[in-house]
Amino acid sequence: MSFLNPLLLSGLAAVSIPIIIHFLNRRRFRRVEWAAMRFIELSVEKNRKRMDIEDLILLAIRCLLLLLLALALSRPAWRDSAAGALGLSKVTAVILLDNSGSMGLSDGVETRFELARKAAEQVVDGLPSGSAAAVFLATDAAEALLAEPTHDLNLVRKVLREARLSDRASDLQPPIETALETLKGRASVQREVYLITDDQATGWRQLGDIQTVLKRAGKGEDVQTHLILVGQPETRNLAVTDLSLATGLAPVNRPLRFEVEVTNTGTVPVENVQVSLHLDDGTAADSMVLPDIPAGASRAASLFARLPNDGWHTVAARISGDRLGFDDQRVLALRGVRELKTLLIDGDPGPEARAAESFFVRHALTPVPFAERAEYFIKPQAASVAQLGGMRFEDFDLVVMCNVAELTVAQSQLLERFVQRGGGLLIFPGDRVNAAFYNRQLGDALSLLPARLGSIYGDAKSDEKFFHFQARNYGHPIVSLWRNESAGTLASARFYQAYELLPQEGGTNNPAASSVVLRFADEKPAMVEKMHGLGRVILFASTADIGWNDLPVRPAFVPLLHRAVAAVTRHQDDSANIPVGQDYARRVNAEFVGHTAKVSTPLHEGDEHDLTRVEMIATVPTLTYAKTDRAGRYSIQLDETTEETLFAAQPDPRESDLASLTEEDIAELAAVATITRWTPMTSLRQTVEQKRVGAEFWLPLAFLVLALAGTETALAQYFSRSK
Amino acid sequence: METRSRPLAELLDPAAVSSAEALGMHAREIVEGYIAGEHKSPYHGFAIEFAQHREYSSGDDIRHLDWKVLGRTDRYYIKQYEQETNYVGHLLLDGSESMKYGSGSHSKLAYGKMLAACLSYTILKQRDAVSLNIFDTVSRQHLQRSNSHSMIQKVLNTLAAFNPTGQTNIAGVLNEMARQIRRRGIVFIISDLFDDEDKILSGIQHLRFGGSEVVVFHLLDHAEIEFPFEGLVDFVGLENIPKIRTRPREIRKSYLQEFNGFCDRIREGCERNQCHYLRVDTSQPLAEVLSGYLAFRLRTSRK
Repeated sequence: MSFLNPLLLSGLAAVSIPIIIHFLNRRRFRRVEWAAMRFIELSVEKNRKRMDIEDLILLAIRCLLLLLLALALSRPAWRDSAAGALGLSKVTAVILLDNSGSMGLSDGVETRFELARKAAEQVVDGLPSGSAAAVFLATDAAEALLAEPTHDLNLVRKVLREARLSDRASDLQPPIETALETLKGRASVQREVYLITDDQATGWRQLGDIQTVLKRAGKGEDVQTHLILVGQPETRNLAVTDLSLATGLAPVNRPLRFEVEVTNTGTVPVENVQVSLHLDDGTAADSMVLPDIPAGASRAASLFARLPNDGWHTVAARISGDRLGFDDQRVLALRGVRELKTLLIDGDPGPEARAAESFFVRHALTPVPFAERAEYFIKPQAASVAQLGGMRFEDFDLVVMCNVAELTVAQSQLLERFVQRGGGLLIFPGDRVNAAFYNRQLGDALSLLPARLGSIYGDAKSDEKFFHFQARNYGHPIVSLWRNESAGTLASARFYQAYELLPQEGGTNNPAASSVVLRFADEKPAMVEKMHGLGRVILFASTADIGWNDLPVRPAFVPLLHRAVAAVTRHQDDSANIPVGQDYARRVNAEFVGHTAKVSTPLHEGDEHDLTRVEMIATVPTLTYAKTDRAGRYSIQLDETTEETLFAAQPDPRESDLASLTEEDIAELAAVATITRWTPMTSLRQTVEQKRVGAEFWLPLAFLVLALAGTETALAQYFSRSK
Repeated sequence: METRSRPLAELLDPAAVSSAEALGMHAREIVEGYIAGEHKSPYHGFAIEFAQHREYSSGDDIRHLDWKVLGRTDRYYIKQYEQETNYVGHLLLDGSESMKYGSGSHSKLAYGKMLAACLSYTILKQRDAVSLNIFDTVSRQHLQRSNSHSMIQKVLNTLAAFNPTGQTNIAGVLNEMARQIRRRGIVFIISDLFDDEDKILSGIQHLRFGGSEVVVFHLLDHAEIEFPFEGLVDFVGLENIPKIRTRPREIRKSYLQEFNGFCDRIREGCERNQCHYLRVDTSQPLAEVLSGYLAFRLRTSRK
């Protein structure tokens, strides 16, 4: 026996009300001067005893009535088999409908998601009348369709019918937590969670935690969990699990190499898989055939495409379709660059070109034979600090500072404005650098510097002692290429001397915070980057020439430099490729705040589009778009005058893995949940109702109260009849 | 004069008085005439007024033949007489505290006073004599019998000036009266009779033994007859009886039973003693009550 509204038990104090009224009433009388007293005396004498008894009976009934009313309002409930006689009590249910990518798997007739929707409707049909249900879409997070349990079950059915599949990954632990959180504190004797999903094992990767919370909820809070599994196991599936641009920049009209990874997530080997690369509208740019992919293995393909013009493009890698469609294509958004004007500010031009501080950078930026340099899209131009007077930063896309001692205050302010407006800046220190100027002017005054320059460590004069870049854990996008060991290594470069970089501290929400791109093996930062306005700055710890290290003569220098250049000049492009389900966010000029942008998504066809607004987020005018549930190409048009921006959402490769839960896992889950393998022939009602044995009995109590009220009225009438 | 005349005027209900005058005041039984002397039988024709002639028919007493008419016309006519006799109307008005009760516009006492005033007026108008006695435990106010014209004024003044204070002892007063009344007449008892029935009846019996005709006006308030109270009521006794708190609605039935039983016992007792009993609801118009009574008298006295 428990009370769902225990607070209302204090209403039991109301029992005293009739007693108080009884005594108060004794003081409310009319006074009549009366002559024929002896008749009254006689009658009263005759009736006194009976009237007293009747009074007591009425008082007792009224007290009992209030007592029962208070009990009924506090909603007592008990759970045992006898409660079944009182009928099924109302249920508060949370329906978790898995709409992750794997639910799109079709058995040739229906997708798993369509089956799940039917199962969900059966769940709703099986709820006793008066029940309430909330609906969440479960992927790697819970998306509320009906966040609060509603008694309008027709609304629940409608919401379920209109639920859409997404391409998101599944991780069922957060949705289950959300469901239990929703049920927490619900005043209902019967609380149930229905999780309708496929038996994909990746969704249960936090199985231990799920078991723990379900067990706790089942024992402590009496929440029944029903796990409804739909769909048949699938043995064959191929997925495009990765697509990336091998080079950092995407110059126009040059062959760009794309790395495509195709994974066989099925349990049987596959042969002759055709992989093709499509540009924008779908024309095939390149294709190749992968001879065979064993079960569970991945194969990489290098495909080439040329961008016809500058601006935004998407590139899609496709394989022929199978039963699970969302992973048969992967889209990458990128921006073509026609030319990249680069200003190399050389702090140590030296007596001859070869001795110049910027020599290696300059050559690394144009890695083509001398004759083709004029055609090459990167156009470096070197200048000493003294020559800066006649130049405008605005004429360049990128500024590289190599061992520059210091700038004038005016120059540094111009440089700051240049970055603010979207320019890129690379800073290499060296022996000439005036660290105090950097820290004070560029750091403190203009907050342009990603990190303060600390002390110099190591000794360039001796080549005995050296140190390396970190050899693994390349987390930053700029160096993510080297995660793949076939791309060469960064760790071979030797460093003899470097500045200790002290990154600006800042919270994760601080847009001005800097992040470390690359560290040395001893964890000291080697490259630190920072957003500044629309632009970006990267600070290196060591020199751009071979003065303090031998990086410039290592093969990794060119890709590292190119990727760094790409990062600072088209830094927005990082955010142009997002995992499915993650919010897309892009900085825009402040003039667009409040503007509405048109967004067309993979779901929209033709001229259909969605809208989103540009808003200030943490003082930064930002264009965001959150409904990125589907993989593929998205385009945003801010207004007629601006260029259309593209971005792409890419599914989690893990979602393509259709491996089923093992029997052991299912056995373990059965300890904390009722598991039903659902087919359209299954009737859920029986299994579910067996679990519902608890009953509330406020209703019979309420009837009893009514009956008592009736009795009270009748008795009062009867007792007050003339005697 | 102004202040004095009003209560006096109020005591005489004009409607009641006018109807009473028309009907006259008739003794139900033959009452010995005061003016005619005590030894003459009323049947032997004293205080007789000629009423009309009627043709003789066999069986008529020839004493009543109009010989003069016979001499003149040789026809047999019987002289018919209106028989009148002087009598004393003894008005006994209960002046105990219980008479103060009244649920409507007037108390039983006020009603009784009006009744007494109207009766006095009517009797005096016929040049009969009236005596007035207002009592509670003992006689409080007494007016010796008189048929003078000033008597009505005296009666009215006495009635108007009276205020009740004491408890009832009707039986004692009746016995006392029985001893006092030497001349037979009509005794009007105006009271609620809230006293021991047996004693009252024995008092009435006593009066009857003295030869008086007794008329009982049993004055009852409408509320006393109907007992229409609701809710919780504190009944405060008018004659020093401790108060009773009860829910009257619930005891109504047994109250009415008791009350009607009491009224019935009184009525039966009266009828046994051959006195006229009238149960008067004080909410009834006085004229109705009085004319009803007088009409009844008229009928019965013509036998």
